[in-house]
Amino acid sequence: MRKILLSLAVLVAATACRPAPAPQAAAGARPRVALVMKSLANDFFATMAQGATHHQAEHAADYELLVSGIKNETDLNEQVNLVEQAVAQGAAAIVIAPADSKALVPALKRAQDRGVVIVNIDNRLDAEVVRQAGLTAAFVGPDNREGARRVGLALAAKLTAGDEVAIIEGVTTAYNGQQRRAGFEDAMQAAGLKIVAVQSGAWEMDKANGVAANLLSAHPGLKALLCANDNMAIGAAAAVAAAGRSRAVLVAGFDDIAAIRPLLADGRVLATADQHADLLAVSGIELALQALKDGKPGADRATTVDLVTR
Amino acid sequence: MRIRVGRASDLLVLLVVWGGLLLLFGQLSTGFLSAASFGSVANRIPALLLTATGMTLLMVTGGIDLSVGSLLGLCGAVVGVAMADWGWGLPAAMALSLGVGVALGGVSGLISVKLRLPSFIVTLGMLEVARGLAFLATESQTKYIGPAIEGIGTPIAGWIVSPAFLLALAAVALGQAALSYTVFGRHLIAVGANSEAAAISGIAVDRPRLWAHAVLGALTGLAAVVNCSRLGSADPNAGVGFELSVIAAVVVGGTSLLGGRGSVARSLLGVLIIATLEAGLVQMGASEPVKRVVTGLVIVTAVLADNWRRGR
Repeated sequence: MRKILLSLAVLVAATACRPAPAPQAAAGARPRVALVMKSLANDFFATMAQGATHHQAEHAADYELLVSGIKNETDLNEQVNLVEQAVAQGAAAIVIAPADSKALVPALKRAQDRGVVIVNIDNRLDAEVVRQAGLTAAFVGPDNREGARRVGLALAAKLTAGDEVAIIEGVTTAYNGQQRRAGFEDAMQAAGLKIVAVQSGAWEMDKANGVAANLLSAHPGLKALLCANDNMAIGAAAAVAAAGRSRAVLVAGFDDIAAIRPLLADGRVLATADQHADLLAVSGIELALQALKDGKPGADRATTVDLVTR
Repeated sequence: MRIRVGRASDLLVLLVVWGGLLLLFGQLSTGFLSAASFGSVANRIPALLLTATGMTLLMVTGGIDLSVGSLLGLCGAVVGVAMADWGWGLPAAMALSLGVGVALGGVSGLISVKLRLPSFIVTLGMLEVARGLAFLATESQTKYIGPAIEGIGTPIAGWIVSPAFLLALAAVALGQAALSYTVFGRHLIAVGANSEAAAISGIAVDRPRLWAHAVLGALTGLAAVVNCSRLGSADPNAGVGFELSVIAAVVVGGTSLLGGRGSVARSLLGVLIIATLEAGLVQMGASEPVKRVVTGLVIVTAVLADNWRRGR
């Protein structure tokens, strides 16, 4: 037992020593840019990573790229770990697609306090929390609400006023999910359709499949399922087929991932939105590099969202 | 009846494995053996460490609690609502979190101990209950708390470790001392090794089990505060899959799933080994699938090695 306590003491001593100064890139060396994403199991972020890797290969002399992502979309702690680790690795800038609009702010603020430039992509950080925490982060991303509204209108064109529809939203705590839900709602309202249920599929295929199956049995008159991302749309389309209601229930998604294309082609999914994931990360990186060069944070940039149907 | 408490040699083996990982990653990746990198590992583990301490005590009795991840989410949600919506101070919110942890851990314990139901099943039910309550409490929204809670998880000025890390180390030391030196600890082991023999020798076998559930609940409540502190917010999704990380760390530390054998100090090394492995793989730029495969293999290898050494 004495040995155990002794090793504990050694451990404390080893870790509690004075910190080294924050690692900074040596003058003249290429700056390190860390791209911190959400789940790399999601095609959307995999595409984003590919776009970034290609860009870096073409601009190898300008910067060094660290790419990381988390296991599942709700693992905020892991994403905070990645932010801290990027700082520990001496990243000059962090380009992040935050898994939560509020909870990542303190970790990013800590990184900024150590001189790291923060660029927020994809999912916008909560403006009020950002202000309270005193964080400065430019946002590069699509107008999710407008994109979702256009997907919703494309779907509404196939229905008649008064038809019943349901929304499968993303993780309820994420801003982009909230915006897409709002965009769907805008379109449904404009077309006079009736939203009978809004439930979360937590961005995941499997979860959305279960949610969709329940919605289908609870609402026999349901005419459409609007899903806040393509993963969930695939899950929902499978549930529609399993319920024997293909064609009777329309499905819409968001993101235009590769896996959705066959479903778009044969009509199992009617519409989705392409927010050009590959360009999204690249825009964020370019903004970060510019900010490093200028020594001041850049302005927000809006990226394009295109409606995709068959 | 033979009681086996953590031998120093078992601890040494784990220390060697951990040291080996540090050296390996130090070779493979520049800057891994830096104070900043140590700090990043030390400050990511306190919640895991606190919960693993409680889980070790419970697993020594032969019990298990699968609801700790959800309970972490619920206790955090309660802290978030108390501080962000009701304007409570940190001490009061912390007390509330501990209370909720003890209450739910205690309920699982009571049902499983008094009604003789496997704790595996009872806490599987509690996993769903606690997660549902976490969403209800927060209306499925993240609660931003801000600097009022961030102090616990932020490194102390001039140090590289946070108060949360020191708190977790204190819990490990206390947990190990309780297990090795107190009657309570002996009873935990005796009940886990052979419940009938323990009963015959006059131990009220229900009590240590019940206490172990409640203590784990309390430590999970504390871990929730630490977790909120790291995020500056309460996230109702917090801790999904957390129970598996906790159990993996405890098992890598050589605590038996069947009870009767375990050590909190070795669970600490289990936590360090897994955290170092994850940090090292990220630093090397390993992809997410590779990270998961390697971590899984290490867990299985650790248990195999432990079995082999004991089987000799």
